Amino acid sequence: MPDKFSFQVYGIVGSSLCVATEDGQKVFDQIAPVLRHGRSVALSFLNVDIMTTAFLNAAIGQLYGQFDEKIVESLLTVQDLLPEDESLLALVKKSSKRYFEDPDRYDRDFQDALGIERGDVVH
Amino acid sequence: MEVHLPPRICRDQGGFAYLARLNARIQHCFLDTITVDMERTIWFDADMCAVLGAILHKASNNVNAVEIIRIQPDVEKALSRNGFLRSYGRWQPSDRYGTTIAYRCFNRAEHQLFAQYVDGFIQHQRIPKMSNRLLRALRRNVQEIFGNSALHSRSDLGVFSCGQFFRTKEWLAFAVADLGVGIQQNVKEHLRWEMTPEQAIDWAVRDNHTTRRDRVPGGMGLAILQQFIDWNGGCIQIVSDAGYWQRTKGRNVTANLGNPFPGTIVSIEINTADPKVYDLVS
Repeated sequence: MPDKFSFQVYGIVGSSLCVATEDGQKVFDQIAPVLRHGRSVALSFLNVDIMTTAFLNAAIGQLYGQFDEKIVESLLTVQDLLPEDESLLALVKKSSKRYFEDPDRYDRDFQDALGIERGDVVH
Repeated sequence: MEVHLPPRICRDQGGFAYLARLNARIQHCFLDTITVDMERTIWFDADMCAVLGAILHKASNNVNAVEIIRIQPDVEKALSRNGFLRSYGRWQPSDRYGTTIAYRCFNRAEHQLFAQYVDGFIQHQRIPKMSNRLLRALRRNVQEIFGNSALHSRSDLGVFSCGQFFRTKEWLAFAVADLGVGIQQNVKEHLRWEMTPEQAIDWAVRDNHTTRRDRVPGGMGLAILQQFIDWNGGCIQIVSDAGYWQRTKGRNVTANLGNPFPGTIVSIEINTADPKVYDLVS
């Protein structure tokens, strides 16, 4: 088994338009088993034109729910991103890490803001 | 049943409220003919075809015949050019001004087709001055809107879209409407807390708020869309159930429309002459 795997997002999705959660899931399904075996992944976004947060959350964001942050950061490298897409990916990563630290945080904060008591719910 | 549209249908709270009222009137029709009389209507914002189209599609799906009659010539031209009236027995003339964004209905799985449709109107319409950064930001944000509808509506009745470019104002308006589970119901199921439809929209647009229950994080699309609209100086309006939410110049306005729209609408207005460089702030 090689130490490093290279994947083309364009090839996995089959399009330059990376917009759907389902397509992001395809990318995740390629990356996750490699990381699980402790191998590195180089993920190229060459020829990708448009990406959404829904796609990136599924492709990369959910990795932070399955692997330690250090493993993701050390084993996954992304390449060939446009500057504005780098910003989007940074945002997705930051948001995902925060989300998986405490998935209920945002719901709790909002309930607190509305003065809703926990357990005081409708069924 | 016969319904008469008012003199003006604009993309504002009044326009959405009127169309929600129209839906309330016709939603229980079955095996009927619904006649929409537009004799009094002298102005109809073309992008609002997405909303009217969704309502009439739902009525048609309830086994009713739907017809639109006595349309004023200028309104008929506008609603024919974008293809809306094709579903009601009119032909579609060519758009020689290059300013319409066609009325379309998509299956919620058709992300790629929707993306091609968006690229089509951006590349083929004569929209001047838009910087590449603005174009990409617009394409991505419109796609986020579709993705939200596709993911959260859980409806097979389709996602409806339509838009218009206003050359002299250098302004683009675009609307996406679905006929699915509204935001209020999704939030109620998620938080297990009853809130007003406008409160539910306010919850859903906040950064990282999502009703997804799987292992994929989410809740960023509408927050990024807001950021984009704020930078651009545009406007975003969301209608879901009877809730109305608007953001323009960094200010939010919420209201209750009195009658529910049977799904969710996201309507945006974009300043196409905006020269700013877009970058996301984390």
